[in-house]
Amino acid sequence: MKVKVSLRVNGKLYSREVEPRKLLVHFLRDDLKLKGTHIGCDTSNCGACTVLLDGRAVKSCTLFAVQANGHEVTTIEGISVNGQPHPLQDAFRKCFALQCGYCTPGMIMAAYYLLSMNPKPTEDEIRRALSGNLCMCTGYVKIIEAVRMASEIVSKGKR
Amino acid sequence: MRAVQEVHTKWVGKPVERFEDVRFTSGLGTYIDDIELPGMLYGGILMSPYAHAKIKSIDVSDALKDPNVVAVITGKEVKEKTKLVRPRAVRQVEQYVMAVDKAIFVGQPVAAIAVTDRYAVEDALELIRVEYEPLKPVVEIEDALDPNSPRIFEELNSNIIMEDRLIFGDVDGDFRRADVVVRERFRLHRFSSTPLETFGVIASYDPGWGELTVYANDQQPGRSIANLSYMLDIPTNRIRFVIPDVGGGFGIKLIVWPFEVIMSLLSIKTGRPVKWIQTRTEHLTAWTHTPDAMIDVEMALKRDGEILSIKVRDVENDGTFIHTTGLYSMIKFATICGCYKIKSVQFEPVSVVTNKGPVVQNRGVGKPGMIYVLERTVDIAAKALNMDPAEIRFRNFIQPNDFPYTTPSGEVYDSGDYPALLRRALEAVNYQQFRREQAELRAKGRYLGIGISASIEPGTSNIGYYYITRMKEGKEPDFYGADEGASVSVEPDGKVRVVLGSMDIGTGHETVARQVVADVLGVSPNDVYVMPGFDSRTSPYVGYSGTFSNKFHDVDVGAMIGAARLVREKILKIASHLLEISEEDLEISDGRVSVRGIPDKSLTFAQIAAIAYNKVLSLPPGMEPGLRATYVYKSPHCKIPRRDHFNVQVPKSSSVHIAIVEVDVHTGSVKILRYVIVHDCGNMINPKIVEGLIEGATLHGIAAVMMEEFVHNEEGQNVTATFADYLKPSTTESIKYEIYHHTTPSPFTPLGSKPVGEGGAIASMPAVVNAVEDALSPFGVRIRQLPLTPDRVLRLIEEARTKVSK
Ligand code: FES
Ligand code: FES
Repeated sequence: MKVKVSLRVNGKLYSREVEPRKLLVHFLRDDLKLKGTHIGCDTSNCGACTVLLDGRAVKSCTLFAVQANGHEVTTIEGISVNGQPHPLQDAFRKCFALQCGYCTPGMIMAAYYLLSMNPKPTEDEIRRALSGNLCMCTGYVKIIEAVRMASEIVSKGKR
Repeated sequence: MRAVQEVHTKWVGKPVERFEDVRFTSGLGTYIDDIELPGMLYGGILMSPYAHAKIKSIDVSDALKDPNVVAVITGKEVKEKTKLVRPRAVRQVEQYVMAVDKAIFVGQPVAAIAVTDRYAVEDALELIRVEYEPLKPVVEIEDALDPNSPRIFEELNSNIIMEDRLIFGDVDGDFRRADVVVRERFRLHRFSSTPLETFGVIASYDPGWGELTVYANDQQPGRSIANLSYMLDIPTNRIRFVIPDVGGGFGIKLIVWPFEVIMSLLSIKTGRPVKWIQTRTEHLTAWTHTPDAMIDVEMALKRDGEILSIKVRDVENDGTFIHTTGLYSMIKFATICGCYKIKSVQFEPVSVVTNKGPVVQNRGVGKPGMIYVLERTVDIAAKALNMDPAEIRFRNFIQPNDFPYTTPSGEVYDSGDYPALLRRALEAVNYQQFRREQAELRAKGRYLGIGISASIEPGTSNIGYYYITRMKEGKEPDFYGADEGASVSVEPDGKVRVVLGSMDIGTGHETVARQVVADVLGVSPNDVYVMPGFDSRTSPYVGYSGTFSNKFHDVDVGAMIGAARLVREKILKIASHLLEISEEDLEISDGRVSVRGIPDKSLTFAQIAAIAYNKVLSLPPGMEPGLRATYVYKSPHCKIPRRDHFNVQVPKSSSVHIAIVEVDVHTGSVKILRYVIVHDCGNMINPKIVEGLIEGATLHGIAAVMMEEFVHNEEGQNVTATFADYLKPSTTESIKYEIYHHTTPSPFTPLGSKPVGEGGAIASMPAVVNAVEDALSPFGVRIRQLPLTPDRVLRLIEEARTKVSK
């Protein structure tokens, strides 16, 4: 049995027939071919699948696609500004805040949500906001630096 | 290979931003699960729920009735269609990539299916009925050492699969001469660097071409191609092996190949591509861990702190999957002397078989364990001699003018300045002042501690040493390793293309290769394209190609320099011919060859390439058209390993880590207050990439001793198979590092660089544990078991207190 879901992803409206048990992350990856959202676990502990649902960071492996019906989803593919990388994307690159890059989309989306709520977070606030996102490569030092660097730009409203 | 000075370093040594990060930060990386092939099926694996059980029967009839199921295979078919898993360090026993009559660990493949839909995998697996007869499991090392324990491999007389003794120097004499002998038993637990991306494979057999294509996030394509060919009886020229972007490796992805074999069987059977993506729970359950170990150490010292000799008996619980059995011990031995001049060594490697799952070469393999034991023992020896832990290290360091230095067993150290590292680190923490503060705070009931660890970080393995024990029976190594290939071309439009035999696994290969090749050729890194990943159709691979063993800075870089030089020489020859000027009078910069002193008289790479590929009749007489070269570089410092003299690894980075911790003796929690690293990895090719690798690796080591542990119950069930139970550090547990570099270039490597990647994970374990033990020294606590979770710390304090009061 399939049900219909309609939702806006990165500003674009999609309607698809899906199995009710299909997870949002699989819907994004397999049905919409948005492969930037990753999967790192099966117990909602790693945050690799983080996207925004109506502007709030969620782990897309914890939601069924049908739960996103009628909602608005933003993924890593949807955060560039006028074709230019988002300050977070730039800062991650400038700070060497990634190695294998597998955690990066989820990490950036969690940071994106943080900066949307709190454009000038303290180091502690950054640490707390990203604590649901695991990175196995970097030791996090440069990730925290990158979020801070991006916050300088975001908070000044440069982009 | 000519010396380092000869590479003009405009880009080498600079913190060039990583080119690959453009795609990774945009969500445009291509990892294994992002690949879809037409007609692709999804593979699933039925894993044994028992640690030790006879498989009495498998009934797949219901599964085959499921309309989603296209094919099922069981161990019986695997046995018919493949061969035995080949061991390296130990003798052959009967083991296939799937359980046949008996399952010997939880998570061992018992059957596999190919279905039409990702979501149908689990439904279909439930339809396979397996009748098991549970057997008594052998779980811990002590169980395996018990001669009465049930045998896991019937053909062995016990559950000891490897036992050896290697002695170099006058061990007995040195122990007789000793004033003090320190004895200790340390335990190591199971942990893993757990790459964020789990294993993934897509196998696609084309019956028309008779070609098998395997996509996998595998770290060692050279060996996997050989394994697939051997197992499936397909010649290597009919195997295409492709590696896309890899979501972290750390050695864990050296063991993807058994699943490549299984998925290939399913693809051959169905005639369709089959994709398998491991679940996190499957990954953590058994695929895979470091081995737990029981290590007995004896160290003989003179009263003045001189270490005369060391004896180590190392029992590793690594016998379950024989391909990787024995590897931890063997590499431990190569690190047994650490940074110290030790006259004689005795090492007894022992591998036991239990029903815990397989192990693989996690970041640093046996090196973190060995340095942990050595650096813990040095601290304990200092205490026994009433010496300062810094002083005893200074007393025993290999000195800067001792290099190249050879240990008693033949391990060659290329370069370093260990005293300088320790001096710098002590300065950074203001050691004497810290000791005063520590005493003052103790009086106020606060327990701070400082832990020093000095460590080598070897790279580039001469992996024939795996066979050291089997050499007793006359078995020669099947390989030596310590080489890598690269291809460099200036394409017909003058742009540069690089293809490596190894691939990026988060290691920055693409950027570093651009820097190196740009400097050799005299172009901008922006004009160099490095093919991401690996494709055996174009990648110039050798028997052990891949990314492992800290070898990139050495043999991989040597290969790309070698290939780029061949192309450069050709470019100069062509330019000399066209400009009618001798080669010595030509120079290259920014992709242009010009006559020295007459910049107008020049040719661009594009113009030269046009001649080389198109107007080939204008080439110098006898020259082969094209501007393409492949080069395989092998370390000139490796010798064929023998039992009486073997050099396991070649260049050796070094570092000193100092941790300052505070222990809350009421809650048992440990807080790291400062963490200083003084690091020597020779000439850095990209200092920012180096820094990132140090930080990431150091957190691996810290987390391994502080929080991570795979726990098995008496049934051999891993009760920590999710990230809710197997705790990884997040941003709230991570710390900051104060990193200093002290560079001694390696005379052994093409650019004077030395290994980086594993070192942080090697040096950090003893630094933190020494610090905690130092903090708790008023209680007389001795740490023998890890990780140092708050409850264990509390227990240690409690035990020490009761001992005192008795
Ligand atoms: S995939 Fe790990 S939290 Fe969603
Ligand atoms: S960069 Fe590899 S997991 Fe974060």
